[in-house]
Amino acid sequence: MGFLGRKDKKPLGIYIHVPFCRSKCQYCDFYSLATKDDRLMDGFLDAVCAHIKEAGPLAPGYTVDTVYFGGGTPSFFGADGMATILTAVRRSFDVSNNAEITFEANPDSVTPKLLHKLRSEGFNRVSLGIQCDDDGLLEKIGRPHTYAQAVTAVKQIRKAGFRNLSVDLIYGLPGQSLAGWERTLQNVLKLEPEHISCYGLQVEEGTPFYQHRAYLDLPDDDMQADMYLRTVEILRGKGYRQYEISNFCRRSNESKHNMKYWTGGEYLGFGPNASSDFAGKRFRMVRDLHGYIEGILTDGQVVDELQDIPHRERAGEYLMMRLRTSRGVLGQEYEKQYLLPFAPLERVLVKWADRGCAAKLENGCWRLTPEGFLVSNTIITELLLAQDQSAPPEKRR
Amino acid sequence: MTELSKIRNFSIIAHIDHGKSTLADRLLEECNAVDNRQGREQILDSMDLEQERGITIKATAVQLNYTALDGKTYHLNLIDTPGHVDFNYEVSRSLAACEGAVLVVDASQGVEAQTLANTYLAIDAGLEVLPVINKIDLPSARPAEVKAEVEDIIGIPAEDSPEISAKNGINIRSVLEMIVRDVPAPEGDREAPLQALIFDSVYDSYRGVIVYTRIKQGTVRPGMEIRMMATGAVYKVVEVGTMNPMGLTPRDALGAGEVGYITASIKNVADTQVGDTITSVEDPAAEPLPGYRAVQPMVYSGVYPADGAKYQDLREALEKLKLNDASFVYELESSIALGFGFRCGFLGLLHMEIIQERLEREYNLDLITTAPNVVYRVTKTSGEVLMVDNPLDYPDPMEIELAEEPFVRISLIAPQEYVGNIMDLAQQRRGEFKDMVYLDANRVELHYEMPLNEIIYDFFDALKSRTRGYGSLDYELIGYRPSKLVKLDILLNGDIVDALSFILFAENAYPRARKICEKLKENIPRAQFEIPVQAAIGGKIIARETIKALRKDVLAKCYGGDITRKKKLLEKQKEGKKRMRTFGTVSVPSEAFMAVLKLDED
Repeated sequence: MGFLGRKDKKPLGIYIHVPFCRSKCQYCDFYSLATKDDRLMDGFLDAVCAHIKEAGPLAPGYTVDTVYFGGGTPSFFGADGMATILTAVRRSFDVSNNAEITFEANPDSVTPKLLHKLRSEGFNRVSLGIQCDDDGLLEKIGRPHTYAQAVTAVKQIRKAGFRNLSVDLIYGLPGQSLAGWERTLQNVLKLEPEHISCYGLQVEEGTPFYQHRAYLDLPDDDMQADMYLRTVEILRGKGYRQYEISNFCRRSNESKHNMKYWTGGEYLGFGPNASSDFAGKRFRMVRDLHGYIEGILTDGQVVDELQDIPHRERAGEYLMMRLRTSRGVLGQEYEKQYLLPFAPLERVLVKWADRGCAAKLENGCWRLTPEGFLVSNTIITELLLAQDQSAPPEKRR
Repeated sequence: MTELSKIRNFSIIAHIDHGKSTLADRLLEECNAVDNRQGREQILDSMDLEQERGITIKATAVQLNYTALDGKTYHLNLIDTPGHVDFNYEVSRSLAACEGAVLVVDASQGVEAQTLANTYLAIDAGLEVLPVINKIDLPSARPAEVKAEVEDIIGIPAEDSPEISAKNGINIRSVLEMIVRDVPAPEGDREAPLQALIFDSVYDSYRGVIVYTRIKQGTVRPGMEIRMMATGAVYKVVEVGTMNPMGLTPRDALGAGEVGYITASIKNVADTQVGDTITSVEDPAAEPLPGYRAVQPMVYSGVYPADGAKYQDLREALEKLKLNDASFVYELESSIALGFGFRCGFLGLLHMEIIQERLEREYNLDLITTAPNVVYRVTKTSGEVLMVDNPLDYPDPMEIELAEEPFVRISLIAPQEYVGNIMDLAQQRRGEFKDMVYLDANRVELHYEMPLNEIIYDFFDALKSRTRGYGSLDYELIGYRPSKLVKLDILLNGDIVDALSFILFAENAYPRARKICEKLKENIPRAQFEIPVQAAIGGKIIARETIKALRKDVLAKCYGGDITRKKKLLEKQKEGKKRMRTFGTVSVPSEAFMAVLKLDED
């Protein structure tokens, strides 16, 4: 360690993208391959470890306080590989002792052995993809597991000593009713996870769902809105605090890693299609495993998109990301950080607060209500417009 | 000055796409007037828009020096004419500057409505009409039949007409020889009092207005004091000369029979109206040349900047356009809904589209255009007569004694298998059938009288789609007739949006109102609250739709990998919002205004 004490170092998140799955889900547009090809997995492992080793020296003034293995399905990739990668991270970066270390898992690929191994390696948070409690629906959306498997997986996760469990759920699935969704929530609440993510289904271009969207019997926007508001209500009743549009937790179990995305924290991503926001630049690795492996091993090009984000643009991102969270935006902080007036934005927020109670001001902090979250794109767009008008990015000719 | 016997003044007339501009280019090349390699395609159509749409919007003229087979060198003045019914008057003035017209007919398509219309204009102007059969290189060419058609339908000899391909440069010389041989040399007395016909003018920022003219009698020289006989404007001539393909060539004088230009430090193009006569102040002509008509816009519409802050930019752009286009008029207008803008008058729908397109392209403006409106004549119970070109000025129904709308006589030509379709269309548009003539075994010309209002929206498009593109259209104003008219208002969230009001035939009001409400519902984004969209006549609601409240507009997921993409999405949403106008509490995108204008018949 250099001259800087740990206290003076800047925090850093590390994201590892593990692009392997047992099968592709119908709605998923993340980069992953449905394969267990040993050569590919080994190639990936070597490349990621080499990449981490290469990047470590570039971040001397940082302490890693979160590591997140996402995917893909990291549990499907296996405990040994993940342990090797985590070791590589620890070797090349200064990882703090109480870092949050998460991996994503699917019910069909967790075993007591895997869980024990990862727990002993220092992983302390699991994000389990359950999605819903209806086996017929799970099959329809291409999930390779049943709800019973999810229940078993939760028991095993607890038994292995994980005290921070998050579950992922999706509402607005084909043919899903409000009652069906409420039942999913009630059942999942019995599992007592510390953290729940509830995502409204978004049919993304390029997915099988997109192709068949006309025949899917998807709940309409009004139904999705009802499901959402009901979710907030049910979870609140059980002591879950909504700290982001789609995220809820008990006590202080927010995802520290994900909070970085919403509050302008820095993070480095490894693996194909992993994104980073580091030292003022945002960049993304190639969305192609072979290209990634080859690029790393031959010192070739693995960065696909690199953008220097000007300070002015960060001001827009501040609004866009912070308003996703219950922290909301602070007028003083905004003005100090971006040297732009907050008053024009406040006028927009007041309007939304007056009509329909979509926003509210508490302790100098503006945040959106659940009704506001539902139409947050509209609100943020209006704020961005007000921001443009208050400080024109370029002079009139 | 050129000897009268060595001058030929002619124009080329044709239906759109029959090859008029291409032939003009070939004639220029043949006279070595243009360097083929550097000459861009279609020199006479110099505006981008003209080249894109393949039509001539402004008249221009050019002088060619041609050494004929008789060994003599002739000055051929080619006066190009606009090629659309909207510009009929301008065409007639250009023709009045000529002694002959080359009629270009497509060897496969034959005679079309505009061919006829322009030919009649030429014949009325006393011109020698010389047919040329073009596009003989096409496999579908049938020159012999088309010649027979010209003789049968138009009644002019065509047996010996040149068969050419302007595109491939075939037989171009025979056209030039025909012009020298068959176009009469101009007549006129160069000592007589000056009578010069204005057939066009353009604004040049250095010289002021450049007037294109045909000297009918007398002579004009630099230094002479001239008067425009209709507008009364007086100027001192600075320069006279002829138009050559590569620019203007000053000359000492222009005499009777010649075609050329005059500059006189004229600041305002409105002083040099097409069709006006220029005479000498010192030795004035007794009377002007016949045929002058003041510009009469037929269609009016409100033009507003999509972004209200751009009002000043729009004003400057209109001022500049107006410098070059005396036929377009505008005046300040303000709408409660749209703020400041302009009520603009156009010769027709094409003219309107051209002006709009030029404003958007050349001046980089986003526009909101209100529904086009013809000029209604309303006699109030008080006896006062109003000419109403703006729905906002339409009087209260209680005050109206008589409402009249302008009617046109339209001529439609199409292959006979489409007659049924055309009749359906004409009937829907309140057309009154007059007669039907078989032009040949295959093609039919139909005449209708119908309200101008019915053809200004999308009649031409509808005709094209119902005749697979074969139908052609021409129309002329025939006067006002009594009609049952109403003003339809559109209400958003209970408030009238004045910019969406328009006047229409009472019996069309219900279906139209329903359709507009539907279109607005499709095009107005959901807001935080429910928005009723209503159509009303004099306070009575006749149609209603409801835009449901916005419930969901959210990104469920936004993690590291999503930020760039989602940012773009919001950016796009923001740009869309910029193009919206807010009426009370409702935001309306400019597309909604366009959608209301284009109510297809589906």
